[in-house]
Amino acid sequence: MVKRLRDEGLSSERLLWPTKGPSHFEDELGQDEIERALGITTLEKAVRWAQTKSMWPDTFGLACCAIEMMAIVSSRYDIARFGMEAFRSSPRQADLLIVSGRVAHKMAAPIRQIYDQMLEPKWVIAMGACASSGGMFNNYTILQGVDRILPVDIYVPFCPPRPEALMEGILRLHEAHLAGVPPAYERRQVATS
Amino acid sequence: MTVAPTRHAWPVVAGDQYEGSRIPSPIPTVKQVPEDFGDREDVLRINFGPNHPSTHGVLRLIVDLDGEQVEGISAVIGYLHTGFEKTMEAKTWWKCVTYPERIDYVGYQNNELTFVLAVEKLLELEVPEKATWMRMLLCELNRIHSHLIFLGTSALELGAVSMFWYCFREREMILDLYEMVTGQRMHTRYFQIGGLAEDIPEGFYAECRTFVDWFPHALGDYLQLLDRNAIWLERTRGVGVLSASDAIALGQSGPNLRASGVDWDLRREQPYLAYDQVDFQVPVYENGDVYDRYRVRMDEMRESNRIVDQCLRRLERMRGRPWITDDRKVVLPPREELHTSMESLIHHFKIVTEGFRVPEGEVYVTIESPRGEQGCYVVSDGGPKPWRVHFRAPSFVALEATATCMHETLVADLIAIVGSLDAVMGDTDR
Amino acid sequence: MSYEDLPGFVSQQDAHGETTITIERERIRDACEHARDELGFQMLSDLVATDYLNWGAKGVSGYIGTASGRDINFPMTQGLQVQPATKPKRFSVSYHLLALRQPPVRVRLKVWLDDGDSLPSVVSVWPTADWHEREQFDLMGIRFDGHPNLERLIMPEDWEGHPLRKDYPQGGEPVRFSDAE
Repeated sequence: MVKRLRDEGLSSERLLWPTKGPSHFEDELGQDEIERALGITTLEKAVRWAQTKSMWPDTFGLACCAIEMMAIVSSRYDIARFGMEAFRSSPRQADLLIVSGRVAHKMAAPIRQIYDQMLEPKWVIAMGACASSGGMFNNYTILQGVDRILPVDIYVPFCPPRPEALMEGILRLHEAHLAGVPPAYERRQVATS
Repeated sequence: MTVAPTRHAWPVVAGDQYEGSRIPSPIPTVKQVPEDFGDREDVLRINFGPNHPSTHGVLRLIVDLDGEQVEGISAVIGYLHTGFEKTMEAKTWWKCVTYPERIDYVGYQNNELTFVLAVEKLLELEVPEKATWMRMLLCELNRIHSHLIFLGTSALELGAVSMFWYCFREREMILDLYEMVTGQRMHTRYFQIGGLAEDIPEGFYAECRTFVDWFPHALGDYLQLLDRNAIWLERTRGVGVLSASDAIALGQSGPNLRASGVDWDLRREQPYLAYDQVDFQVPVYENGDVYDRYRVRMDEMRESNRIVDQCLRRLERMRGRPWITDDRKVVLPPREELHTSMESLIHHFKIVTEGFRVPEGEVYVTIESPRGEQGCYVVSDGGPKPWRVHFRAPSFVALEATATCMHETLVADLIAIVGSLDAVMGDTDR
Repeated sequence: MSYEDLPGFVSQQDAHGETTITIERERIRDACEHARDELGFQMLSDLVATDYLNWGAKGVSGYIGTASGRDINFPMTQGLQVQPATKPKRFSVSYHLLALRQPPVRVRLKVWLDDGDSLPSVVSVWPTADWHEREQFDLMGIRFDGHPNLERLIMPEDWEGHPLRKDYPQGGEPVRFSDAE
């Protein structure tokens, strides 16, 4: 049963430009035919869809949140449904850096180096309270939020976040990316080289 | 499973370097490429950096390799230094209880227990029996949890990838139990100074019984997957041998010590909580290699399950009993009392605003955590905040043994050895 | 168990079921060797340094007895205040020893030192002291003579200061509506 765009009140896949009418191509095919014949999208959207469905995280577990990050790979919370069970050890092969755990000042330089080694497009999720804001540790050694050194896309609170919470954060990242929100380094114009 | 039948005073390690010791000299924790190595240009120094595929957290090893063989190793730690000890000096005693859990974030209940026991020792506070037994039950569940994570991640690193999913399946069951009782999966903050935070919910007993009955089957699954597996045996037998005298000299404890042949378990020798009232055996193996450490932990899981069973039986008969001490100077009074009793109101006020005060003194309390001897040294000046808190971390000491375990090891064996020492970096760096 | 034969023995206190032996600073290595060889303490469980700067400056718990009872000149106190016992020097280093016997025997050897004093290292007695001493040097600034590799362990190599000292600030960032904590 083909889903009709007309039923949704849409004239085409132009979700981001609702006021534009149908093109000549669609007129030729006829309103009734287009959905049967073609799936219409833009190149950017297709690429974003592909990126979203296989966004591979980096094995970057620091502390307690890492155990819950390992739990999303386990069978109950199965992140493989979303194509993300392939945790890459090399940052050059990873798309997503989930900073899971408290970041000490000594670790800040390695984190930045790993982030720099990742290739664009890349995203950062600050998992847990410690990565988002320093958490319960407000002292000489903990970086008060990893967003001091990295541009962060999604913050997942709690200590440690449940695996479902982390997955919610990951799915929101997917939705944001599908909707066209650029990764954080573009929004914040942080040097990435 | 062997249990060493005789208990005797272990040999005193006399002299700087006794016969047969593999502890490197002059620096015990650094194995240096020997002076007479030959062509030095053959040695490649690589950085097994803080972020690496093996899932042990942020440990950095600087390894000198001759081909595949490890000729020199030294560890750099401190990438997860959180300043627990300094931060706890600024918090009141009650607020401090949240911190120790995050130190060894895999065996979190045991850390909480050390701190709470230390403060209760200083306060000379008596804890109700129900709280003692429940603490024991949760700590043993936590031991199973910790060993499951060890098994899952170590097997994953050595290539037995499916073990990870099996172990985490049981881990989820344990975390469900924790969530039922405490509301949180990890870092439960359920142990209070004086007892437990809340009563045990009614549904817990049946759920825990289900887990206890199921767990031996799960253990059977793991043994079937690994124990006769030729690849597993070849990769773990004879690798990373640590002799008993070396282990004692290096301050090892827990499964690392028991795998080297030293029959020493603080739950039996120095019973805390109610360990002298439960029946369990202590597995000891002779060879001190990676395989024996794995076997000790497997057997310990079985024994922990037995202890949980016994605690559960005891707790089922204690329904309705108090779960926290009623010393109002330390513990908040129940809310209903605040409406009727003036003293309770004042106690509540003082405890919440100022915090209770712990008399002056110092104590050092040790327990048997899944990693070994976890200790908490507390110095109090009589005020509402601790003066000095120090945690004796078994992982810190276990990593000191990495250099000693390296004896004609290959890079792949290095992973197995570091995994078998079961060091959690939060515990190491504190 | 008699501890008076320990070289450098100064005094012994028992509290909370634990025995604390105070040892002279220069003779701690001899005392540790004696403890290991003669008394059978095969394992060094822990090595902790404590900074007692400003000890007793804040209010503590307990009661001072005066004939008339409560002293109303100190408002907001839980009854009367005691001062904690004064400490001989600024730093103390505690060596927690364990004898693997049944029942286990634990003892604490305590050494007092001032800022700038150094202690003989016990790495030759128990190799496990290597990292313990490095950690206490790193965080408290206490030097150990004879340690083969006394460098910073926990903090970055170029860190200045010794964080666990009492005159080192907590750090972090100021948080609204909370003082000191």
